[in-house]
This record gives sequence, C-alpha cells and structure tokens, in this order.
Amino acid sequence: MLTFTEEILLLLGDEDGAPLPIHQHAFECALAGAALMDLAFANRIDTDLATLVVTDPTPTGNPGLDRVLAKIGDRAGTTDTQTWIRLLTTEDAADIRENALESLVRRRILARRDKRFPWAFGSVRHPTVDDRAEGEIKARIERALLEDVPDPRDIALISLADACQILPGLFPDQAIENLAPRIARLRRMDLIGREVAGTISDIRQTIVRAARAQGQRYQKRLLTFSAAGVAAVVATVLAPRVPYPDRFASTALDDLWLGGFWQQWTGYLLLALSVAGLLCAMIVREKLAMRMVGSHRWRISHIVVGIACVLALFAHTGFRFGANLNAALMGIYLAALLSGALAGVVIGGLPRLRRVGFGNAGRLRRGLLWVHALAICPLPALLAVHVLAAYLY
Amino acid sequence: MSSKTVLWLVGTTLIGAMYVAASAFVGGDRRLLLVGNTTDAHRQFELSCETCHAAPPFADAQASGKALNQTCRACHDDDLEAANDSHPSSTFRNPRMADYWNRLDARLCTNCHREHRPEISLPGAVTVASDFCVACHSEGDQDVRRVRPSHAGLTFDTCASAGCHNYHDNRALYEDFLAGHAAMPALAPKPVHALTARSRTFQRATGAPLAREDALAPAAVLTDDAALIEWSASGHAAADVNCDACHAANLPAGATPEDVAAHWVTVPSTAACTSCHRPQARSFAKGRHGMRQHPRIAKPRDPRDSLEDLGFSGVMLGAIADWLSTPPVPGRMTVGEARLPMRPDVPAHRAIDCGTCHEPHGVNTGQAAVEACASCHDGDHTRAYFDSPHHRLWQAERTSQAPPGTGVSCATCHMPMTEVRGTIVANHNQNDNLRPNEKMVRPVCLDCHGLSFSLNALADAKLIERNFTGKPAVHVESPEWAARRFIEAEDDTGI
Repeated sequence: MLTFTEEILLLLGDEDGAPLPIHQHAFECALAGAALMDLAFANRIDTDLATLVVTDPTPTGNPGLDRVLAKIGDRAGTTDTQTWIRLLTTEDAADIRENALESLVRRRILARRDKRFPWAFGSVRHPTVDDRAEGEIKARIERALLEDVPDPRDIALISLADACQILPGLFPDQAIENLAPRIARLRRMDLIGREVAGTISDIRQTIVRAARAQGQRYQKRLLTFSAAGVAAVVATVLAPRVPYPDRFASTALDDLWLGGFWQQWTGYLLLALSVAGLLCAMIVREKLAMRMVGSHRWRISHIVVGIACVLALFAHTGFRFGANLNAALMGIYLAALLSGALAGVVIGGLPRLRRVGFGNAGRLRRGLLWVHALAICPLPALLAVHVLAAYLY
Repeated sequence: MSSKTVLWLVGTTLIGAMYVAASAFVGGDRRLLLVGNTTDAHRQFELSCETCHAAPPFADAQASGKALNQTCRACHDDDLEAANDSHPSSTFRNPRMADYWNRLDARLCTNCHREHRPEISLPGAVTVASDFCVACHSEGDQDVRRVRPSHAGLTFDTCASAGCHNYHDNRALYEDFLAGHAAMPALAPKPVHALTARSRTFQRATGAPLAREDALAPAAVLTDDAALIEWSASGHAAADVNCDACHAANLPAGATPEDVAAHWVTVPSTAACTSCHRPQARSFAKGRHGMRQHPRIAKPRDPRDSLEDLGFSGVMLGAIADWLSTPPVPGRMTVGEARLPMRPDVPAHRAIDCGTCHEPHGVNTGQAAVEACASCHDGDHTRAYFDSPHHRLWQAERTSQAPPGTGVSCATCHMPMTEVRGTIVANHNQNDNLRPNEKMVRPVCLDCHGLSFSLNALADAKLIERNFTGKPAVHVESPEWAARRFIEAEDDTGI
C-alpha cells in the first residue's frame, strides 16, 4: 500500500513528472502533513490540541518516516502539531519528498529521468510509467466523496488534499462547488486528518501573508541590486578609461594594472567570482525546478556576485577592453552581466510593470535570460584561451 | 533555452576555442591572441611571436622573462654599443646596485619597454612614466638637483624631454662634448655634409663609362630605348655594371651573349642588388622599410613537428598541418600597413624593396633621396620639405649651382652617408638616427650647424613639422650649463 506522502506526490505531479502549479510552501506543507498522517495511521503518533506525542517508537520500516518519527521522539511530546508541521516543512520536506520519490521509482510507478545534461540547464523529472496507482487514488477519492461511509484513510487523504488545495486540480470547478459541503463534512470526521489539515490551512494563511510581505521585500531588493548591476555595467562601458599614472612614483593603481602579480590575482578573483555566480544560478534553477524555498536568497546572491564581478573586472582591467580575443572576452562578459542585471530589473519590477499595463514583461524576462545564457556559453572557452595565452607568452 | 541549443552553443564555442588553442600551440594565424597593438617597429614581424617569445611554452615567469630579454639584446646590443650606452644593463647587474632594483630594475629591458601596451607606450617604446630618472637620481650622491647647481629646481620629467639627456644614447649629449661645441655658430662658414660630398665626387680610375652600344642583353631587349638610355646615364654604367650583372646574375665573368640570353631574367630579384650592395642591404633589413627581411626574424612554425608529437601521422597529419599552417610573415612592408600618413593615391599593396625607391635602370640616387620618399610619405614634415631651405639647397646642388654635399635631401638626414671600412655607403636603416632624434646631431647636423642650434631645432616639434623652415623657438640650455661648469672648474683649479 502506498503511504500518504507517496499518494500526495502522485496527485501533485503531472504525467511528465513536473509538479502541478501550486505554491511551493503549500507543496512542502502537504508533504509534512502527509508524513504525520502516515505516522498517525501507523499508530506511531497521536495528537491533541496541545501536543503531538509518540505512542510507539518502533520503526515503521520506511526510512523517511522513521527519521521523522525519531525526530519527534527526541522532543518527547513538547511540541504541538502546528509547530511540527512548520518544522518539517522547513527542515525535512526535501528529504520526505526524495524518500517518497525513491519508493515510487522502486515500485515502478514513476521513473527517474535525469534531464540535467548539460547539468546546469536541466532538472530531474519523475514521469509516470504506471498510471494505475494514480488512477486508483483518484477513484478512491471520488468514491469517498460519493459513498455514505468512506474509509478513514480516504477521509484523511481528502482532508489533506483539500487543505493543500489539490482537489480543484482533480475535479472540474462545478463538481468541486457541488462537493464542497460533503468535503467539509468528511474533514470533520477524521481527528488526526482534521488536526493536520487545520494546521496546514492555518500555516498556509500565515505563509501566504508572510510570503506576500517577503515577496514584496524580495522584489524591492532584487530591483535595487539589479539596477545597481545595470549601472555598474553601463559605467564599465561608458566611463572614461582610468588613465595610467604619468608619474614614476609607484601608486596602488600602477601596481594593479602594470604589475603582473596583481593583474594575475585580480584575474583569478574574477574567475572565482564568475564560478560562484554560475553556482548561485544553478542553485536557483534547482530550487525553482524542485519548488523548494530559498531561491530568492540565491537569486539575490547571484546578482550581488554579478556586481562583485564588475568591481573585480575594474581591478583587473581598469575598464580597458584590450584587443582581439581579450576585447571579445570583455564584450561577451559584459553582455552576460548586463543581460542578467536587466533580467533582474524586469523580474524585480514585474508587479509594477504589470500594474502599468506592460503585458510583455514575461516575454522580455525570458528574452533577457536567453541572452544571458547565450552570452555565458562561450565564456568558459574564451577564459580558458585567455588564461592559457597569458602563460604561453 | 533547450538542451539542444545549449549543446550547439557550447560545441561551437569549444570548436572555436580548440582552433585558437591549436593556432597557439601547433600552428596558424595568431593575430587573435595579440593582447594589444605592437609598437611601430616590432609590428613588422608581430605574427612571428617566437622572434621575441623565445622561451618554450609554459616556461616559468623568470625563464620566459630571461629569454625575452635575451632576444631584445640579440637585436639591439650592437646599436647600444655603437651609442656608447650610458646605462648598460651590465652596470645594474652589479650586486652593489641591488638597492636600485626595487626602484627600477634596469637589468631587464622589458621593465621599461613593455610590448603590446600601446596605451602606455611613449616614443622609443618606453613604457615607464617620463620622469623615470627620479628612481635613481633623486637621492644621496646621485641627487642631480644637489650635486649640479644648474639642475636645482628642475623636475625629472624634463631630463629626457628637453633635449638634454637620453637613457641609452648620449653620444652627442655628454658633458665634454656639449662644453666643447657650445660655442659653435648656428651655421658653419662652409656648410657641407662631408661624407656626402666625398661620395658624390666619384671618379673613374681609367677609361670611359659603358655606353648604350656596350649593353650586354638579348636582341629583343635591346630594342627598349628608354631602358637603355636610363642605364647608360646611370651610376651602374659609370661603374661598368652591365645588364647581365642584374638580369643574368649567376653567370661567371666573361659570359657570351648567348649565355646571357639563355639565363636572362626579366625582373631580377632583390638578391641581384644584394649581391653587390651588401652593406646597404644589411642596414635596409634593420630599418622599418626592410625589417621583415632581417635574418633574426623567426621562421614560420611547422605544425608537423607538434602534430607528430601529439601522435598524428599520415593523411590526417597532412590535412591538419595544411589547415594549421602558419602564414609566413610577409616578405615586404606595404604602404597599406604604414602607420605614418601616406599619399592616398598610392596603392595600399605597394611593397618596399630596392626597386621601389631606386628606379631599376636609372638607379638615380638623387631621385631616390627625395622623390621616392615623397611618392609614399605624406606627413606635414614631408610636405613642408619642398618649401624649406634644405630643399632649396638640394635643388641648387642637383642643378650644379652648389658644390656636392651642400644640398639636404630626405636621405641626407634619414639615410646619411656613413663610412664602413673605408667605403662610403648610405645607411639604409632610416630609423637609425631617428629616435631619440639627438642621435642625428653628430652624423648629420653638426656638419653644417652648431651644436646648440641643432639641439634647439631638434627639440622644437613645431619646427620639425615645418621641416626646419624658420628658427627654433625652443632653447636647450645644456651646452651653456656644461660650458659654464667647465669654466668654473678651471677657475677653481686655477688653470
């Protein structure tokens, strides 16, 4: 028999294994709630309004659930259900998801498709290879919504699915509207399901409010940093080249651009920052693809690293483009930085752009990100030749 | 962006990078790798990187720096020795000079002459700030402002820019010479360039010069009246140089007309000129006109050697080697490659060899000394020459209204006559006395002008632009200072 976690995952994925368009916090809450329900139905935990306690610490045999059980056991009944769901959402959702996916792959219900080649530009998908299990779950939910006395397990699943707002994705709008009283009735029938679902509902409300405020702060920061990035790149292109000292007395700038030592190390600094920026971008992609929290932080980091790259570029070149291959490298590097910073401005200013009726902002964002990726592609090769030529001659 | 697009992009870039890497390590055009424009002189052979970058690939910085400096000295040591270099690197290799190494390490040429850095390159390919003398001459016994009262209050950016000192070449700027020639008048009573005068007074030992009837050439060629007339009036005919000397150059002396006809070359190569005019050819290969023929320029890389090391063989080796063959450094400089202003009506592909300046049959050195230069060069200095006093003197000499050596052509200053082992030849390295321009003082200017006047004129950029039409507006004080110091020293010693 499938666990709640596995059933929820099946309900939340499309045929190609891409997650359905629900909020990532709701997704993670659903996984945390499903794990608690699995433990409750396995008679390992019990809950009331004040606490969630372990009634039987014996492992269930499911590694993911057992880790959650051990964690709850360590707290010895001092924490309520709502707090546990919050904790599991932020700390264990990824682990619960991975564990459930592995189990489904083992049962040959899902397959693992690693579309990460080139690995920076793809993601791991879990398309359905055997849709009977998913069909069975949907049939069970449908039966439970129509039958007089449904199975307690189905009631719990419906409570969870409703709390996570999965049901509108499974039934037509009209049917959901008609079934609303029945769903409400069923949610009241199961104690643990009701507790978990209620908690998820509360958390969702809180999260939505917090996420909205956080989102506004994020958009503002993103816009600010991106605008600073655009200004820095434009300054690099348009600012007059810093003149070389015309006096022999050695200055810091003299050492920076004329001494081989500093030019070598500012070059390596630039290389390190570029790699760091690339890693940040990969983490952002991974988190977005997996619907995991934290992508905002990494995206801001990506832009801050981009600004740092402009500063390192100044230290390395003094805003001089050089000649031939070096000029090409500088031009393409600046194109990558500028397109990235402009994409950040568009993403950060998206709500504002939509408010003023700029409907093509999404297309503009995609176009800029495409240029950004396009400019990044030749950089490793150009950088390699640049470094090799420096050592060769 | 789809994975396929990314793959295409990455793949294309990698192929491009592989080509660039192959051209760097194996063979092929390396212009893409140039980090900045090469200086005027070195750009003539900038595609032949190994001429200067002689260290093996990925040698450590010390080894590659050493190899680089060795190549500098290999080409420039002779000139520096001739210039009685005031700051030879050997002076600074002395451990007692270690204190100065941290200020300006003059043991290595490349510390002051960095190549491919046009943005910091000063005349003479100097890439340190113009007041670099401050590094060593501003403290202790070497503080010139203290030990020379005349230098008190002077700034170090005037040392080498005011016509007083050069770092290497001070053959006309050392104290004894300055003091000894400070009193010379602006113009000599009989201004004549002595070596030029001697070279123009060539006298045949015996007999008459060759005439048109003496021409040794195939019958078909002997119908070219214009060529025959030019030749019979030329220095070649006067020196018994017949047609076969150039057009059938490899024949032994006493060849019959039939032999000449059989070995006739319609357009002889420069090798025919070089076989007789060796000193001129040698100096030509040192100047910017002919530097590409200099024997020290590295030969194009053979990609086969590297490819064999990499394990290629057979057809594959041949195919890749053909693809990566290094373009040879073009044998001759062309007008289109010049950085100085050139006449717009001259084809860019016009290349420079002996025949470009010396009309092949007339070999008129007078024409080569002025008109040939102005047939390509088109700067202010060149254009102003034709209205200058020097040109008037040149016209007077050419029309026999003035004695030989009194005229001043382009070549008088830029390709002056020099004496090489008793023979007077034109120095075909037109850059030999050009930078710093005080190098011109002793071999050229002083034959007609005084030292002070010459230094003043050469320090006046505007006057140079006007091709010395007018008087110098700049006054170089060093001759007076040197003379005064001598007088004071004599007074002190009671001589």
